[in-house]
Parts: sequence; C-alpha cells; structure tokens
Amino acid sequence: MRTISLASLGLLLLGSISFAYAQKATEIFIPMGKSPGLSYSNYTYMGKIESVNKQKRTIKADGRNIRVSRDTKIWLDRTALKATNIAGRFADLQAGRQVEIKYADAERRQVAEWIKVKVTQP
Amino acid sequence: MVSRAYAQGRPVPSPITLIGTLLLGLSILTSCQSAPPPNPDQELIAKGRALFFNETFDGNSRTCGTCHREENNMAIDPGFIATLPDDDPLFVAERNQALMKNFENPRLMREFGLILENQDGFDDLENDFNMRGVPHVLAQRESVDSRDGPRTGWAGDGAPGDGSLRSFATGAVIQHFTKTLNRVPDVDFRLPTDDELDALEAFQLSLGRQQDLALPLPLKGTVAKRGQEIFLDNALGKCNACHFNAGANGNPDVFGPGVGNMNFNTGVEDLPDQPADLTGEKVPPDDGFGTPGDGTFNTPPLVEAADTGPFFHNNSIETIEGSVAFYNGDAFNNSPAGQLLAGATGGGINLDGTQVVEVAAFLRVINALENIRASILLIEQSNRSRGARAKELLGLAVADTKDGIEVLIGGGLHPQAVAHLKEAKHLTRRAARSAFSRRRHAAAAIRELEQARGEMIE
Repeated sequence: MRTISLASLGLLLLGSISFAYAQKATEIFIPMGKSPGLSYSNYTYMGKIESVNKQKRTIKADGRNIRVSRDTKIWLDRTALKATNIAGRFADLQAGRQVEIKYADAERRQVAEWIKVKVTQP
Repeated sequence: MVSRAYAQGRPVPSPITLIGTLLLGLSILTSCQSAPPPNPDQELIAKGRALFFNETFDGNSRTCGTCHREENNMAIDPGFIATLPDDDPLFVAERNQALMKNFENPRLMREFGLILENQDGFDDLENDFNMRGVPHVLAQRESVDSRDGPRTGWAGDGAPGDGSLRSFATGAVIQHFTKTLNRVPDVDFRLPTDDELDALEAFQLSLGRQQDLALPLPLKGTVAKRGQEIFLDNALGKCNACHFNAGANGNPDVFGPGVGNMNFNTGVEDLPDQPADLTGEKVPPDDGFGTPGDGTFNTPPLVEAADTGPFFHNNSIETIEGSVAFYNGDAFNNSPAGQLLAGATGGGINLDGTQVVEVAAFLRVINALENIRASILLIEQSNRSRGARAKELLGLAVADTKDGIEVLIGGGLHPQAVAHLKEAKHLTRRAARSAFSRRRHAAAAIRELEQARGEMIE
C-alpha cells in the first residue's frame, strides 16, 4: 500500500519535473564558437545570416528559415573589440552578419534558443 | 647523446669507464621498458587536479580550489573561512577596487559562507543576484546524471553550454574569476580550453565516492540503527524516496528506473528567520532552476552531509539535526514537494525529537564510515607516492579522520570508534613526519581506522 502511494508520488512528480537546462546567465560572455559542448556540434550553426524577414520574425541561415521567438536570446559578441558582450535586439540580426545560432531543438532546427552576433566595429 | 657530449671537447673517458657507462645506460633503458605504461586516466585526473588548484585562468587570482578546498571536503564554511589570511584570493572583493561592488558581499561571505551568484543574468547587478553556499563536489559521479540530462550546482542549471559537468568550469570562471565586472574574455580572464575542460571533468569525477551505498547497512549502534530504519520507512521518515540509499538520486521504485538526480521545491526559501536575512543585508529570493526560476533545487547526496554543513543552498541551517528537523516544519510540509509527499503518503513528515536525532545519528555514522574509507584510500595512495605528494596525501587523510571524529563526537556516538580514530589520526601524523618509519606508522593507522569501522558496522 505504501509502495503504491509512493509510486503515485512518482507519477504526480512527472508533471513537475524540471528538464535539464543549461545556464544562460554566463553564456552571454562566451564568444562565438566557444560554447562548451555546443559550438561546432549539431546543436549550433555558425555562419552568415542570408536574409531576414521582420514580419515573420525569421532569419534565413544554415539553408533554412529559423524562427526568432520572443524567448530567443540575442547577444552581441563584442570580444573582438575587447568590450563587454551585451544583449541585442531583432534589429541586430542583419543579412551578412556572422552569427552562432543555438537551436531550441537540435533535431527540428526551426526555432533559435539563442543567437550570438559578431560585432567587429564599435 | 654520448657522442655529442664528447664532441664538445670534454675529457675522453677510459674504455672501462665507457663500457660501464654503456652498461648503466642499458640497464636504465631496460628498467624503463619494464615500467608499467602511464595510465591515461590517471594522467588526465592529475592534470585536472593541477588546473583545479593552481590555474587562475588569467583572472583575479582565484582558482577552483579557492572555494573547493581539498583539506575541507572540497568546500568552505564560515569556520574554515575564519582561518584564512586576509590576502586569500577568496577575499578579492575586499581588495580589488573593481570588484568591491556587486561581486561579493564580504559580510555574508565571512559570517555565513555565502557566495554571490548572478544565476538569472547580469543586467541588474544591484538587485538581481543570489547568495548561495559552496557545495562540496564529492561523489559527483553518482549525483550529476539525471533522466533529463546533467544537473550541476545547487539548482541543477549551474553550467553554460550543454549544461554538463564538463562545461561547469567555463561558467565558474566567468562568474567568479573575473578581474572586473566587464567580464571580457581574454581581458578579464581566459576561458578554459577543451583539453582543460576534459581534465577538470575527469578530476571532479574522481573525487569522493564512486558508487552509492546499498541500504540497509548492518549498523551496530542502537541510535543510528533506528535512524536508518526511520530513514528507510516510507510511512515515517520517507527520506529514501528522494535520497535513495542516502545518495542524491530518486528512488527508482518510486520514480522509475534511471531517474537519477531530481529537482524539488522543498520550501527552503520560505524558512522564517534565515540567518542571512537577519543581518539586514540585501538577500533577494532565490528562484532556483531556470530563468526565471521554478523554485526547485537539486537533491544533494547525504553520505557526505554531516561534515559539510551549513545546509541547503543558502546555508540556512547549521547542524545536521536542524536539517533533518527542517522536514518537520511548515516550510517543507507546505511546499510543493511536501504537499506531493503528503498527498502520496497520507500525511507530511512528522518526526519527534528523538527520531530527528536518530536520523541525524544515522547520517553522522555513514559520514564517519565514508571518512574512514577515504582516509584508508589516501594513506594507501600515499604509500604509492613519494616526497611532498606522499606527505600531502597523509595530511588529507588526517583531515578526513578528524572530520570523522568530530562528526561522531557531535552526535555523542560510538566513543570506542572515536578513540580508534584519534589514534589513527595521531599515527597518520607520525607517518607524515617520519622519514624512515612512514610505512609502519601508516599501516598502524590503517589498522586503527579498520577497528573504528568495526565498532560501527558488522
């Protein structure tokens, strides 16, 4: 009886499990291509933005349209300028800019979890 | 080599000397060939250890070992902090002008062992931070993995990148090693390389227990034995559901196979009169896992608990008895985890004073048994080492044995075992001081440690 009760605790908790989540706080300070376990893997794309669709909030990169949701973090990588990396905006996503895109889902590759934008000029 | 040396105009040796030299060289070569090949795992661990304790990553002079002290169970606490000199890198915020504001709170660090973390971001340094204790990093091989991915740090989300233990050091360098709050890589610090992350991970995984206990243990002590029964009783202590085998993982009979480490909101943040809050210093609520957080924190292992207080993510409770009693209180029983437990088992946790002490006694005894295991291992490692490293290992064995003594005395437990541990400590110290009788003293120390263990467990 007790075992059954505790098993029901397990079932109840299934609804409240916190799924693994990498810390975003310090990720902003990690330069493009240096994110441990992510850069140069299936999880991220490194390359240029081909085009931007403001209306749909998508960017074309990696040969596909990638959605930039309200939850997508955009960071300006200013390490080349020896300056602090800061949060960016959708407007900072411009065709031709070098970016690293972390997909929310590495299989589907439809939505960006975060995008680092390389900044080379002050 | 030989011919080049002679070509540099040095005196020509006699034929007999030359033959002797060649024979010596041959014997050295032969002995080299018969030596065991280097163990790549051990080499990686040794490299990781050197990085952990010595590498500042071109930052503010801190290393990983600044907060995770080898001689203090890979952690720090107010008592240990009080022994450090003012120029210790831990106190960098008291000396470095660029770090005096919004990097640490020196008062809360010295009084309660709390470290400042910006878990939810660096946009509002004045208001958005958490004050957390330093968790030990022992037994991580048995406490990081979960069904939903790796869980590091107090809330399970301590690492950037892929969130793994390997990535943890990168976030730690950015948070704790920076020279200024600008946190510019290659200006304020350098980030660990991939090779360094591999080595640091290998070292961390080598620390402490490499496997969980299998409860129940055949304990001899009356009080600890009863504590173990309560711990395992799903209707009374209910501890084994989340701390399976007194470790950091969920009970697979409850949560399913391979569940591993889990996060819960146990209501620690709702405790009244938390010590840090009583100071009047700013201590924002800690929302735990995620950004914004969901209020959950991950489950720590209990085997190492008794000698690594204060307890919980905010060092809010000083004693192991107090931390067991926490689960009797309103903060836990009204928390999401407490409510789930009550719903599943028909009631909250309601232990009486004797039962609280009995569970704590059980935790003290398994901690002391772990101290003994670690001490013996360290002495044996010392026997295989030389010079300063051999002495260093004996010093660590003394520290672990001392912990075992304190843990048992603190609970009024196993006085005979304490006597053996005291003798073991004395003998280990003698071994460390002795040039010629080290092995003999070390062997005697191990015998005392084994006798201490024999007092506590069948």
